[in-house]
Amino acid sequence: MLSLLPQLLVSGIAIGMLYALIALSMTILYRATTVVNFGHGDLVMAGAYMVLIFMVNVTLPFLPALLLSLAALFGFGYLLHRAFIWPIINGPHLGLAMMAIAIGYAVRGLVRLEYGSEMAKMPRPFEEQFFFAFNTVMTLDEITFCVVVVVMLVVSYLVFSRTRFGRIVQAMFQTQRGASLVGINVRLFNNLIWGVGCALGALGGVMLGLILVLDPDAGVWTLLRGFAAMTLGGFGSLHGAVIGGLIIGVLEKVLGTYVSTAFIDITCYLVIIVVLLVRPRGLFGQHATLRI
Amino acid sequence: MALLEITGASVQFGGLTAVNEVSFQAEPGEVRALIGPNGAGKTSLFKAIAGEEPLSAGTIRFQGAPIHDLTPHEISARGVRRTFQNGGLFGELTALENILAGLHTRIPSSFGGLLLGTRAAKTAEKNGTRKARALLEMMGIPHVADQWARDLSGGQQRMVEIVRALATDPPLLLLDEPAVGLAPPARAELMKIIRRLVEEENIAVILIEHAIEFVMTVCDTLMVLNNGELIAEGPPEEVRRNREVLEAYLGR
Repeated sequence: MLSLLPQLLVSGIAIGMLYALIALSMTILYRATTVVNFGHGDLVMAGAYMVLIFMVNVTLPFLPALLLSLAALFGFGYLLHRAFIWPIINGPHLGLAMMAIAIGYAVRGLVRLEYGSEMAKMPRPFEEQFFFAFNTVMTLDEITFCVVVVVMLVVSYLVFSRTRFGRIVQAMFQTQRGASLVGINVRLFNNLIWGVGCALGALGGVMLGLILVLDPDAGVWTLLRGFAAMTLGGFGSLHGAVIGGLIIGVLEKVLGTYVSTAFIDITCYLVIIVVLLVRPRGLFGQHATLRI
Repeated sequence: MALLEITGASVQFGGLTAVNEVSFQAEPGEVRALIGPNGAGKTSLFKAIAGEEPLSAGTIRFQGAPIHDLTPHEISARGVRRTFQNGGLFGELTALENILAGLHTRIPSSFGGLLLGTRAAKTAEKNGTRKARALLEMMGIPHVADQWARDLSGGQQRMVEIVRALATDPPLLLLDEPAVGLAPPARAELMKIIRRLVEEENIAVILIEHAIEFVMTVCDTLMVLNNGELIAEGPPEEVRRNREVLEAYLGR
């Protein structure tokens, strides 16, 4: 049985990369508004549905469909913050959480308008292939996840740490009041951050579309894994979200194989419960309290 | 035309009037100090000038134009900069990065330049960095440039905050308790720096301060707030003898 372990690690890291990307996109929004976007899973899946619509209904090739989908979700995130989050940003946290949930459900409802409760399959941009190395096998999908997410992480790191834009975002993440008083347009930057966060999440959704059948309720599945990764990594920690996602991906595979397949679905719940009980600030978080 | 012109400004929180019809003008080249007991409305007035609190009545004009309807970042971009009592710095940035973040509005570049670092943006940033280092040198803290802001002492943080505000050449600087927590030699140094800025750069400074000796020495005009009302305004020595002030603030 132990001979399976290298394979489980490889597959776990590959799927964990997707969780990491989704958790990273949620963390970016959390850092901007200190509110967990409980509707994020639906926005992630909206990215995959947009590609489906552009490819099937508009008959575009995959790449333009992908770029249009990311642009659409960027615009949606920007407007979402501008029109629905910013006006109530100083209100009760519960109101913000409810707004995020309501928007998620509204997006889900829009998907149902077109597809009902039927499942749909996003057209594949390439045929699945298998690669063997060191007694493990990786699919082209898994390699794609790893390459895309690593590239996104490197780009994000460079933007956040090396550019003036990144420095402004970091300043804003630390104290929005202070940022505002040194002349930074906090509302505009938060609009942009929500756009970026939604587009990143949509990218994760499109990659999930390669391995999952799309259904309007799949957002919950996505949200829970992103949320579990955030919890494990520590709320607000960008690198924590990435590491949390990778750990959950590996745990799902390992527990699902060695204990019971039921663990594939319940690992994320267990992680949330255990972390909140044992180490509420997660692996890298600085604060034990969470605004919802 | 005064640099800052406040006319009948009031700030209300529900039924509570924090600032009640306050009027005064600030001119370039002067230091104004705002004193008063706790709850007198000093910070509320500062917040109103900086755009953080809306006025319930009155107007605030800066360089002739009304600013009381603008957002904090718009007011800041026009040249009204403020420091905080504490916690104003971005702790996870270095002192130098804090100053450069404050220079954001003064480093001209497109969004692309901001994101990608075009040559024009890099040149502007280099100039900003040079200026920031020169100001840190002037404040006597060049060695903190590359240290995390959160690791600096309280006094150093306050100095960096002032440098961050000064780096933008603001015509008006609002200092919220700049001397609190500073050792006497540092206070004396800060006093010299404020006077030099006002006299050499011809900027206006309005400061809130509880350290009376500091205030009496540094300011040209002393203003006293009590229960939201401006009860005295004038040269420090004159205000010090004002009976109403003695009763309300100095407790004599």
